[in-house]
Amino acid sequence: MALNDWRYKPATDIDLSPSQRWKSVRRENGLFEEMTQGLWWALVKAYLKCVHSLTVYGSKQIPRVPPFVFVANHESHLDALVLTSIVPHEVRRRVLPVAAGDTFFVSPLVAAFAAACLNALPLWRRNTGYHAMLELRHRLISEPCSYILFPEGRRSRNGLMMPFKPGVGMLVAGTDVNVVPCFLEGTFEALGPQSRWPRPHPIHVRIGEPLRFQQTPNDREGWTHIARELENRIKHLTVLE
Amino acid sequence: MTEVTSQRLFGVSDAFDQPVVAGLTIAIAAILLVTPALAFLLLKAKALRGSVYREVISKWKTWAALTPLLIGPIILGAFWTVLLLLGLSLWCYREYSRATGLFRSRGIHVSVVVGIALVHFAVLDHWYDFFVALMPIMSIVIVVVGLFPDEPKGFIQRVALGIFGFMLIGIGLGHLAYLANDSAYRSIILMILVSVEMNDVFGYVAGKLFGRRKLAPKTSPGKTAEGTIGALVLTTIMVAVLGHWVFEGTKLDYPQTLITLGLLVSVTGQLGDLTLSSIKRDVGIKDMSATLSAHGGLLDRFDSLLLVAPTVFHYVGYFLGIGLDQPARILSGSV
Repeated sequence: MALNDWRYKPATDIDLSPSQRWKSVRRENGLFEEMTQGLWWALVKAYLKCVHSLTVYGSKQIPRVPPFVFVANHESHLDALVLTSIVPHEVRRRVLPVAAGDTFFVSPLVAAFAAACLNALPLWRRNTGYHAMLELRHRLISEPCSYILFPEGRRSRNGLMMPFKPGVGMLVAGTDVNVVPCFLEGTFEALGPQSRWPRPHPIHVRIGEPLRFQQTPNDREGWTHIARELENRIKHLTVLE
Repeated sequence: MTEVTSQRLFGVSDAFDQPVVAGLTIAIAAILLVTPALAFLLLKAKALRGSVYREVISKWKTWAALTPLLIGPIILGAFWTVLLLLGLSLWCYREYSRATGLFRSRGIHVSVVVGIALVHFAVLDHWYDFFVALMPIMSIVIVVVGLFPDEPKGFIQRVALGIFGFMLIGIGLGHLAYLANDSAYRSIILMILVSVEMNDVFGYVAGKLFGRRKLAPKTSPGKTAEGTIGALVLTTIMVAVLGHWVFEGTKLDYPQTLITLGLLVSVTGQLGDLTLSSIKRDVGIKDMSATLSAHGGLLDRFDSLLLVAPTVFHYVGYFLGIGLDQPARILSGSV
């Protein structure tokens, strides 16, 4: 043959129907999602600044290139919005908040919103086992992209931090992915799990120094170690002035 | 905007003035209603295998959902027809760009989308010069935008994919939209849609009944020479009969010109099908997308239109012209 073959790389979600695609971890954004997300995050940024006078401490710590994982305490639906909105514009389109499948990806309309506006990926709480995490880990490293993750697994009902689950360790054990511990303050008062509408309470974010877990073994012990380490770092951020 | 134009764009009162429009609409509705009943009777008479029956029924469901979306705007007016074809073109291009990976070349991808929008602006405006100019203009734009990333690796591939996609989908389907500038657009567009889809059905049925020799085993293993000939004969007859009503009393209304039109529709329809099959085989995928779940993407359904639309447009244009009695440049104003 006179010519070498061209190498095509179809979208990773080419075989999924539109409704399957919204819910898939394989979803690859196109022009449409970039436009909806661009608009959405502009609105969210303006809202957080005006209503909650969002302040960020340590924004220098935010990595400029994927892959990285934001890990934070979880008290409110605002948490993921706050953390995504503080990422610099040019990295934001590669940031994927990991959201509870049973809350955000059951109703088709909510799923379409979560995917098209938030760029969220589903994690099914009944199935947070190794296989589900492996799929996320693969995408994190190969794409590479960035995640926002709440290792408590659910929103705290009383504003106190709950123990971290080891799942976060399955994503980053043995890799050089930057894990950024973040402490969110005020989101519980602004929109706690019990409240229906947000209140104009100020929100603060403290960003800690990124960690890497290259040497940590990718096994149960390593995962628990990572979860505990991150939990301690975030607890440390709470007392920092 | 003159009264003639607004009547063409938005008027429904004259929708069925040409009897063939009413006839085709009723025929389409009748085919949709009769198909499942006929398939069911054939199944009961043991003339149809269960698997074939289920395939027919699930194809029918897709068409039952698609048909009102297609026919509705055409009946409602030329404006809605152009809007429908803009949506269809953009969606088909989306499938193409995601299948080939072109959508990751941001600049070229956006250029083609803008190009498709401009094609439909030229169509709505009834500005033929701009419509024609868009192929060279967009080719230049895509080449230039392809230079921007300063990345010679893959330059030819991304530029060629962009120009090819714009030509095939933007210009191809754009010609179908441009027909909406003719006062008899409803009958011509409906005739094209019906005959192109029936061309596929004829090929499928003839192939199932008499298929022996494979036509192009590497490109499309399902196609047989017998199916192709069956479609060629039946579609030509159908287009000749329909064309006689659509173009009654014009320079096209002669047996030889109508039969030629029928042959052109059937041949270019099947070649469009093969074109898309080649694209899919080259990329290495089965369907362009899963827009219609089990039935692949919209582009898989409308592949046959891509080459038919420009062919019929210029054939009819050669004899009669397209929209010559309609005011031109209704939005941009004549200079």
